Amino acid sequence: MTRSPLPRRLAAALLLAALALSATAGELVVVVSAKSAVTALRPDQVAAIFLGQSARFPDGSEAVPLDQPVGAPLRDAFYLRVTSKTPPLLKAWWSKMVFTGRGQPPAEARDSAAVRRYVADNPDTVGYIDRSALDASVRAVMVVQ
Amino acid sequence: MPHPIHGRRAVILLALGLTTAAAHADDVPTAVPAAAPAAVSGISMSGISVSGFGTVGAVHSSDTHADFTSSVLKSSGAGASRRWSADVDSRLGLQIDAALGKRWSAVLQMVSEQGLDNTYRPRVEWANVKYQATPELALRVGRIALPMFLTAEYRKVGYIYPWVRPPVEGYGAVPITSSDGADATLRWNLGRVRNSSQVFFGHADQAVVPPQRAYARGVLGLTNTSDWGALSVRVGVIGGEITTVLAKPLFDALAGAGPAGAALVRTYAIDHKHVNVFSLGASYDPGDWFLMGEASRTNTHSLLGATRSAYASAGWRHGTWTPYLTWARVDAVGATSSPGLPLDGLPPALAARAAALNAGLNTLLATIPQQRSVSAGVRWDLCANTALKFQYDRVTPRAGSRGTLINLTPGFASGRTTHVASVVVDFVY
Repeated sequence: MTRSPLPRRLAAALLLAALALSATAGELVVVVSAKSAVTALRPDQVAAIFLGQSARFPDGSEAVPLDQPVGAPLRDAFYLRVTSKTPPLLKAWWSKMVFTGRGQPPAEARDSAAVRRYVADNPDTVGYIDRSALDASVRAVMVVQ
Repeated sequence: MPHPIHGRRAVILLALGLTTAAAHADDVPTAVPAAAPAAVSGISMSGISVSGFGTVGAVHSSDTHADFTSSVLKSSGAGASRRWSADVDSRLGLQIDAALGKRWSAVLQMVSEQGLDNTYRPRVEWANVKYQATPELALRVGRIALPMFLTAEYRKVGYIYPWVRPPVEGYGAVPITSSDGADATLRWNLGRVRNSSQVFFGHADQAVVPPQRAYARGVLGLTNTSDWGALSVRVGVIGGEITTVLAKPLFDALAGAGPAGAALVRTYAIDHKHVNVFSLGASYDPGDWFLMGEASRTNTHSLLGATRSAYASAGWRHGTWTPYLTWARVDAVGATSSPGLPLDGLPPALAARAAALNAGLNTLLATIPQQRSVSAGVRWDLCANTALKFQYDRVTPRAGSRGTLINLTPGFASGRTTHVASVVVDFVY
């Protein structure tokens, strides 16, 4: 997986930053297990996995999203930056998915440390954590911000 | 109708059976502290989730000569029956999802709302079993939402969309929201465009004016939704053969009125008539604002008439407030009146009888909707699962049609604008 050209990444970062004016959480990283073959994800790929639109990583392996709890500032910042959805819009999105039989929202773990532990042990799982919770058991595949 | 009831029972039993089995499924992520396969919220246990939705609303209409309502499958609305009506939008829905492992799941959705019998007797909206063959391919059997339009599958869940109700001009064409059959949905990518294609086959059986019913047989639907960033485009076509005994006395009388009468019956009776609806819709929703529009065309050779409809809507999200504007219209394609039986040369008694039949036929043809409306409203998100909405509609039936209005009284005049004010609270749990 080659990285996007710098200007495009910069533009994407600026756009996300603009959309996240009200967000206060620290820097977020999207992580997979260190055992996973996935090395990088684009924001639209992460958004598709977390919104139930895609169940695979770009290499074709199955992708299972793991969420932070409802109401966590980290979660609200993640969705605002990656999917442009506020909590009510995200709620409306999952209501649409559930009440049209298309899917159920991701499972949730208690906090960044719990997400990291589960992701480390499950190569098909993708989560997002505060950058400060990173360690060698997981690999950052996208920086949110 | 013992067969559908038997089918529903089977699915309910299956759903309950799956629950027990799912409790022992090993892929429930119990390894994650505090993790649960969460529903939108509500109760969530391993493998089974209960969620629901509802709307409590009140609607006022300025026209006392007809009722404004949200669907032709309602018995009354606001206006002629009463100035304020809670029946137009109020409803309650309950959904139980049961999962058995990664591949199998079952869903049961019950909805209570005013029907043509003027009761809120709950109806099974969906009861189906799904097999997720691969992450991309899902197969379902049972009672399934009809794959129609941008918002038709969730038109009963007000919380999902910005308006008080989807535009009645567009969505009135297909009042039935679910049918019994099987479908397959395939997700596929074309570059960065994410597509979801669905094919559906089944039948529907809808109570009209009890004990009368309408039947749709051989319903075949195809839809494709393409998402590219904030843009979503949906194209759909659905067809089927419908039969109803509605207006049977009129058609029986016409059938007895010679070759001219028989020709009218062939033209207008809803008896094994093919209907198809084509729709194309798009929405652009980058978060801070949205723009959406949809056009559809209904073709049938019967008194249901051929129509085309379109709407466009735009809104802006300012914090918890979303003001929006909507424009909508529906027009008949072709004649909405008929000269009926020729009266020339008939003896006076027969001519009077034929004229009465012609009047009856034309009354039915005037129900082919032709209407324009402009709506302005605001959605206020009170909290993460409740929204309060206010909406004002200017609704104008045109060209002799009653539009989407029902329960006309003799003072009704097509072409006169009706002012409708609505307030609703939508919630999901």
